[in-house]
Amino acid sequence: MISLIGFSGLILSFIFNVIVIVSYYYKINQRFNHIFYLALYCSLFFMCLSFFALMFAYISSDFSNFNVFQNSHSSKPLLYKITGTWGNHEGSMLLWLLIMSLYNVFFSFNITLEDHVRKLTIVFQSFLYLCFSLFVILTSNPFLVNSIDSNEGLGLNPILQDPALAIHPPVLYIGYVGFSLILSLALAGLILNQLDNLWIQVIKRWAMFCWLMLTGGIALGSYWAYYELGWGGWWFWDPVENVSLMPWITGLALVHSLMITKQEQLLKRWVVFLSILCFSLSILGTFLVRSGILTSVHSFAADASRGIFILILFLTITGFSFIIFILKSPHSNKQINLLFINKTSALIINNIVMLIACITILLGTIYPIIIEVLTNKRMSVGAPYYNSTVLPILLPGFLIMSIAPMLSWQSNKLDKIKNYIYILIVISILTLLITYLTKFNIWGFTGTILGLWIIAASLLSILHNCLKYKFKKFFIYNNALIAHMGVGIMIIGITFSSIFQTKNNFTIQTGEIVNSGQYSLQLKNLKIEEKNNFQELLGIFLLHKKNEFLTTIKSSKRYYYVSKVITTEAGIYHDWFQDFYLVLGNEKNNKWSITIYHNPLVSFIWIGVMIMIFSGMVGIFKR
Amino acid sequence: MTIRFQRLLLILFSLIFLSSAILLILFNSKKNLVFFFTPSELINSDSTINDVVRIGGFVEKDSIINKGNNSYNFVITDNNNKVLVEYNGLLPDLFKEEQGVVIEGRLKSDFTIHAFTVFAKHDENYMPASIQKQLQKNQYWKKNYK
Repeated sequence: MISLIGFSGLILSFIFNVIVIVSYYYKINQRFNHIFYLALYCSLFFMCLSFFALMFAYISSDFSNFNVFQNSHSSKPLLYKITGTWGNHEGSMLLWLLIMSLYNVFFSFNITLEDHVRKLTIVFQSFLYLCFSLFVILTSNPFLVNSIDSNEGLGLNPILQDPALAIHPPVLYIGYVGFSLILSLALAGLILNQLDNLWIQVIKRWAMFCWLMLTGGIALGSYWAYYELGWGGWWFWDPVENVSLMPWITGLALVHSLMITKQEQLLKRWVVFLSILCFSLSILGTFLVRSGILTSVHSFAADASRGIFILILFLTITGFSFIIFILKSPHSNKQINLLFINKTSALIINNIVMLIACITILLGTIYPIIIEVLTNKRMSVGAPYYNSTVLPILLPGFLIMSIAPMLSWQSNKLDKIKNYIYILIVISILTLLITYLTKFNIWGFTGTILGLWIIAASLLSILHNCLKYKFKKFFIYNNALIAHMGVGIMIIGITFSSIFQTKNNFTIQTGEIVNSGQYSLQLKNLKIEEKNNFQELLGIFLLHKKNEFLTTIKSSKRYYYVSKVITTEAGIYHDWFQDFYLVLGNEKNNKWSITIYHNPLVSFIWIGVMIMIFSGMVGIFKR
Repeated sequence: MTIRFQRLLLILFSLIFLSSAILLILFNSKKNLVFFFTPSELINSDSTINDVVRIGGFVEKDSIINKGNNSYNFVITDNNNKVLVEYNGLLPDLFKEEQGVVIEGRLKSDFTIHAFTVFAKHDENYMPASIQKQLQKNQYWKKNYK
């Protein structure tokens, strides 16, 4: 019954989107104006109905629905029943459609744009919706009826039963899918030849919002990987991470290019190109992940027909967009005034850097596929490749970021350059001394110094702004600089946590103490706890620093009854400046093997990201 | 400065940057690409000692030896050939006898590998497509491996 309601909702929503497009073509008649918006709202309504029908089926454990049967179990906690809705391929595609529809309706409330641009954008968005809706209906229908009568489901993959992963997909999708609206806006602007100030103002806000959500989604995902996988790291250059990074980087280039367009009114062609690229890369990413073509830890159940369908979607949408781009792209007669040393040229160079980094990642991700098709040899491109190509490519970008605040927008003059140079030199000498006296590592040194430069230059600029504007609207004038400080903090966090991470293996008995540096760890006791859907073996450890008690760390292994899977829950002691990360291993003769990671400054990564997102959001809502 | 000159410089800069990126990629891809073999393919391949490779297959029954101190030995098989793996570290939760496994490590001799990483899988149903293909070819594929 509930499956029927859900499926009808899906179909009705499809039909109403067709009506949106059709009524646009009869727009001459004033009567159709109402139908246009009415159909739009109806499509959202039925989409919501469909989505909540599936959610309801999950909550009520309705195993007559095949999707629920495959991915849920009645003993699951309520939270994971709700989030289980998007914890699988079909459900997550339904979430994708819901978000697409939501974007369309929220965008229709926009009053900045001229009416006909807004309408054409909505039509394009509806068209994209139809494409993906067709995909869901034909290849990944979440409302299939279970052919066997069953009163228990197969259960959700235990590793996904986690709060961070529960909100990670929606946040990530709000970012990913949001780029569809950017694409629609770009196409509408191109076709109507209306890439004016208003258009830039509007696309800037939406692009910023999508990009920030994508940032948040990726950060949540890597935070989850950090504490759930028990591998001590937070980024593994896994293909799935890479495909999310590609639209992120182009999105980064897009939001920055839109800044220049505000100042210079130029580069529109470039902005449109990036807008198209963002969503194209999002679809490409979806294709790579969902088709099972890439071997990744995230692989969804692979199905060839799905892969082909998404590939066709990708080729159609990208091909169509780029053809329109080539045919209709604006020829501005004004030229870019580079002047060399100003913010505009710094941003253009940074854009080039970003795109090359993106291409490098794309190459590494699809190279194994090409090689396998051509030579039938299988290979993998792992972290060493990315670390030794992407990072050096990004370095000049960070360098420019650290000197950018001292450049001016319009002129070749350098603003109060002496202050900046003094500060940068002082920082460099101090860092060199400190790193030289402790552990010198060329990458560690470079990362630290770049991070510090970025923070210092941004701080100094903020100070100048404050002197100028007397703290009036502090966040509004300085949001970009604050976001850059966040990046600086993040760079330092990344550098320290990846280069100065230490890993120690021990075997330990109950009561025994092991020493690692000035810290000592004691296994207090082990106990077994019964939970609703899993059994937990809990190791309780006491962490001391020079005989001074710091904290208790609980590290555990869980055995999930339904899926008969053991998962490791790393015990983490978060401190402002370091994390103690403890993984419980196997037992032999009453001795437990444990691995302790000491990760310095990991929290800086999350703090940096939060600062970026916060100040970016301020930027969207300013004025 | 004329517009034309600016544009020329911008293009020049991009080209220099692009070519250095390409050089970086070429230089690194030679070092950092890791080939993926089943034990039989490894024996037929032209890999030499000290090469880094990935091996996929099944953990042979009764082959896991816990040497203490987080050191393990086990055998990976594809039902035709075997490879001995030495590993120091924590084994992933889903690591079991007669279960699929992928390791990455350095060849110590023709049949021995010192593994750096034993790959954990998110999901007990998950098996890399390429390994599945190979195992099906060797008729080692059982339905219940999925």
